Amino acid sequence: MRKQSGVSMILIVLLAFTLLAAACGEDTSETTAAPATTTTASSAEPLKFGMILVGPQNDRGWSQAHFEAGQYLEEQLGAEMIVLDKVNSADLPDKTVDQVAQDMINRGAQLVFLTSDDMRDGALLAAELNPTVPMIWSSGDSAWAEGEAPAPFDNLGNIMGRMEFGKMIAGCAAGLTTQTGSIAYLGPLINDETRRLVNSAFLGASYCWENYRGETTPLEFTVNWIGFWFNIPGFTLDPTQVANGFLDAGADVIISGIDTTEALDVAGQAADAGESVWALPYDFDGACELKPEICLGVPYFNWGPAYLEVAQSVIDGTFTATWQWNGPDWTDLNNKETTAIGFVKGDGLSADNASTLDQFIAGLADGSINPLVGPLNYQDGSTYLADGETATDQQIWYTKQLLEGVTGPSE
Amino acid sequence: MSWMRPLGRVLIPIVGAMAFAILLLLLAGANPFEALGLLVEGSVGSAANLSDTLTAWVTMVLAAAGLVVTFRAGLWNIGVEGQVIAGSIAAAFAARTIEGPVAVMIILTMLAGLIGGGLWGLLAGTLRVYGKVNEIFGGLGLTFVATSLTTYLIIGPWKKAGVASTGGTDPFPRDSWLPTIGTLRVSIVAVIVAALAVVAVYFMMRGTRFGLRLKAVGQNLRSAVLFGIPNKRYLLLAFIIGGALAGLAGTIRVTGFHHKLVPTPSGAHGYLGILIVLLAGFQAKWIAPIAFFFAAIAVGASQLPLQMEVDSSLGGILRGVLVLFVLLFGGWQARRAGARLVADAAPPVVPATPGGEG
Amino acid sequence: MSLELRDIHKHFGPVRANDGINLTVEAGTMHGLLGENGAGKSTLMKVLSGFHAPDSGEIILDGKHIRASSPQDAIGHGIGMLHQDPLVFLPFSVIDNFLLQSPGGLRLDRRSARREFEEVCERFQFSLDPSASTRSLTVGERQQLEIARLLWLGARVLILDEPTTGISAPQRVKLFATLRALAEEGMSVIFVSHKLEEVEELCQRVTVMRQGKVVGHAEMPTPASQLVEMMFGAPVEVEAAQPIELGDPLLRVKDLSVEERLLSIEALSLDVRGGEVIGLAGLGGSGQNTFMRAVAGLVSPAGGEITLDGKQIAGLPYRDLLDVGIQYLPAGRLEEGLVQGLSITEHFVLSDPDTPFFVDWDAAAEHAARAVTANFIKGRADSNAEELSGGNMQRLLLAMLRPGLRLLMMEHPTRGLDIESANWVWSQLLSRREDGTAIIFASVDLDELLRYSNRILVFFSGRVISEVNASDTDVEELGFLIGGKVREQQ
Repeated sequence: MRKQSGVSMILIVLLAFTLLAAACGEDTSETTAAPATTTTASSAEPLKFGMILVGPQNDRGWSQAHFEAGQYLEEQLGAEMIVLDKVNSADLPDKTVDQVAQDMINRGAQLVFLTSDDMRDGALLAAELNPTVPMIWSSGDSAWAEGEAPAPFDNLGNIMGRMEFGKMIAGCAAGLTTQTGSIAYLGPLINDETRRLVNSAFLGASYCWENYRGETTPLEFTVNWIGFWFNIPGFTLDPTQVANGFLDAGADVIISGIDTTEALDVAGQAADAGESVWALPYDFDGACELKPEICLGVPYFNWGPAYLEVAQSVIDGTFTATWQWNGPDWTDLNNKETTAIGFVKGDGLSADNASTLDQFIAGLADGSINPLVGPLNYQDGSTYLADGETATDQQIWYTKQLLEGVTGPSE
Repeated sequence: MSWMRPLGRVLIPIVGAMAFAILLLLLAGANPFEALGLLVEGSVGSAANLSDTLTAWVTMVLAAAGLVVTFRAGLWNIGVEGQVIAGSIAAAFAARTIEGPVAVMIILTMLAGLIGGGLWGLLAGTLRVYGKVNEIFGGLGLTFVATSLTTYLIIGPWKKAGVASTGGTDPFPRDSWLPTIGTLRVSIVAVIVAALAVVAVYFMMRGTRFGLRLKAVGQNLRSAVLFGIPNKRYLLLAFIIGGALAGLAGTIRVTGFHHKLVPTPSGAHGYLGILIVLLAGFQAKWIAPIAFFFAAIAVGASQLPLQMEVDSSLGGILRGVLVLFVLLFGGWQARRAGARLVADAAPPVVPATPGGEG
Repeated sequence: MSLELRDIHKHFGPVRANDGINLTVEAGTMHGLLGENGAGKSTLMKVLSGFHAPDSGEIILDGKHIRASSPQDAIGHGIGMLHQDPLVFLPFSVIDNFLLQSPGGLRLDRRSARREFEEVCERFQFSLDPSASTRSLTVGERQQLEIARLLWLGARVLILDEPTTGISAPQRVKLFATLRALAEEGMSVIFVSHKLEEVEELCQRVTVMRQGKVVGHAEMPTPASQLVEMMFGAPVEVEAAQPIELGDPLLRVKDLSVEERLLSIEALSLDVRGGEVIGLAGLGGSGQNTFMRAVAGLVSPAGGEITLDGKQIAGLPYRDLLDVGIQYLPAGRLEEGLVQGLSITEHFVLSDPDTPFFVDWDAAAEHAARAVTANFIKGRADSNAEELSGGNMQRLLLAMLRPGLRLLMMEHPTRGLDIESANWVWSQLLSRREDGTAIIFASVDLDELLRYSNRILVFFSGRVISEVNASDTDVEELGFLIGGKVREQQ
């Protein structure tokens, strides 16, 4: 009994703390009031939650960012994580996403994070079959009432970071650094999200190329897609080959959009061979460590705060399925307790460029710089944003084509 | 006792592989008994787990049943993997283009899978019979083609609107899903189909003139010709039947498991079917239990990383070790039985038991 | 170097390939080893050259017992064998083939090897380019390469197995000259052949083998007739086959030509009447089997007509010919005829054209059990084919013949059978004649040919060089004909 009450005490303190944190971070999430779901976690036992990762948990990219958010939850809440990585049809042929979610629920998970865009179908099915278990499908839009495909499950929420800012910053770093005026983007598969991020990187790069460097020749910006979030030999293009192709074609900065670090690896090898090339990895704050000297920086997701908030709401029995699209903490991009996305500068970025980049970030933060204002055209010449028009969330989220000026297929 | 030998043939490698797996786990610093316990628990420990295991079992059994037919005809139908995939593609086509009530869709998707897989088998057969292309190479080539076709369809004509991802197509309409009960994922229809297929193959091999003639073709093509057996036709038929059953497995993979077409719809169940049939000594009656064992490992192994610091690839290693033990033991047995039993036409490794039935 | 073989035994399963062979070869001589195909010559030579280990027996070389358990061993003792198909590695160059098997560790001294190779070639006037690809060499040149290699490796006893098959006449002359030169240098040459002329031309002494045994030795020259008698057995009183009223013309083969890889048959014509027995004689592989296979639809003829009862049947597959009453039993009973792994019952079910789709196994087993008894097959209905002895396999095959056959063709109907089984086989076959079934059979047993045939066709290199009435000829004449010596006889 004494032990139990001890645990309760800790939980109460934590609860108070997270409520406070939630109150502070209120402005970034769009919360709509909805009735709480029926699940209530017993306050006596630590929360058990499931974490389904699409790639390896140590990929120094997308999956590791989620995995570390899970560890953050364990630290903050004393919660217990049930994790399964490499959940995709190639690596795990005998379990579907919904079966894995079911396994976790059967093992006592009171909350399940399905952390890939690719898990949409499994998330919807698992939510349907387990209507009382709160779930989060990260990067999805199923709980967005104003979205294109809202799903009718009030136990399935979504969390996503406003990575378009991260990609603008990454693009700017690339635009400031490139010597050849040719930047390449190593794209994963093609969908609304990835087009959104390519366009953001392009806008950031062009802005800095033109405004800070005063270049008048248009920037070359090329994207090539491998077909999935990471390399699955035989089914996707080999990202290493694609990245090498970029360098062969004259690009000197590669911005990665995939879950893993091939862009940095390839650029690193080329740099070792004496070439002046740089790369920007993606997703994970530690991604530069592999090759810091040619890394211009990494835009990354910090899932921890949002996940913590959700977990706390489950513990409190106040979980509601919302769609959250959380922005950066502009006061401190790298504050792990507050920001949803961040940017770590790499050693490859020169001091001058670093301070210029800070200028750009400050502009984004105070709204004086907003690259997502018209006139902007899609690749086929149709209008994306009319002159002076500022993009709405819908227009940003559901990006239908790459922008004019970007070379590469839109679908 | 006539059942002792085949039982030993199955059990000894399994026990040997288990011992080896325990050793591996010890080396990896894990508690082997906890791991094995988790394997068991994760595969048959609850209704949900058993249901997942049965889902994997169904497709392995169907692929293996088809392989009994081709192996009996003396054919190394390595292309079974491609036939499973072809069945998946065909079933996906039916599920995507036809609308109808569940019962109709079950029949139509299965029919499509049978045709798709059978056609793929027939292709390998035609290459073998008329093109003199060894079925191993023809089959591997056709598997590659089927895989490429799947990827092409997923990122090409069948892609999700506005998306180009190898993740998979949109889910099929619900009416094309094999019906399930509650949160259990296994479909009773699929289990019944698989059981029927095994029984049908068993009786076809054992009780029919077709089965006997197929066995003659498989054991000795030249003698079969002298019995007036149209050997080309029989070889092609074996490919068609084997391919059709593999195609049925492919159907169930997409309509009862993935509910969409993914780049690897077969999950290598075709290849696993080969191992199962090797272990089964090419006899239909051993398929069901051996496939269950394989399915249990495949499904149960995913529980290991959920509970322990053990990579789920251990299941794959266990499977590999198992096969190795079977081959070693089969080879040792064949050696002991003397070279006289090893006929050119018969698939090597595990000699067919004399007087064996399908 | 003199060589002595004492009481060599070598069995392959039930087959006694070598059954107590004694043989002495003097140094500096050329020794012929004669015998029909299957007489055991090749086995003996493979024992001698280390390819096969003998079951028992001794090999004595220059008074010393040797034991060669591999060809490497044998050549170490100085025994080298030149195979019918020279064992060269086609992808290799001439010099690399020459160096294969060279003794002395991993290091190859190419330069000195090349010099030595050129010396050997010069000695025997071989014109071989060391760097040429072996693939471009003719069979004769490959032999030269092989001989050069064996000599370089120190061969003092050279065995040649049917060396003249597949080489041209000038190459043959050169080969013989080489062999004579080697013998003069004191080398022993064993020349294995079934061609009388070559042995007569080359050898000082001849040993004749038959059915795994040595039947005699002869100093040359010895009259050919005597050698033929040794090869094929003493002329025995031939009991004429019971005469039978021949039926109507049944099978008509006109200008049949068949092209196979090693042999082609050209313009072969034959008429067979109901109840007639045609024997096909000739050395193995002279076209007898190809002819029967063509008639049976197992190989497709390149031209010509085959009619049965006036109906054109050329080009029809065997399974259709079965239905019009033609059946063919090849010699390899377990390789071609029976199916390993299937029981006697299953064989009967397979052979019955009226088997329903669902097999009634109980009835089938009963039927098979009756047939086993009726045909004196030593085995049970559930015995597998491979468990039967050769005689019982043949009984099973005959028991499975369809009733009311029009034409039955058989290869070596009694090969390997004991007298009792052989007699039973023929009683079964002859009884078929009464129904008007014509029989065509190939055999190397001259007695069998003479005893049971009405007419005998003698094949030589794909041609019928002679057609004789069995009653007008004898073993000796037939033996000459088979050896291709038709003219000398006249």
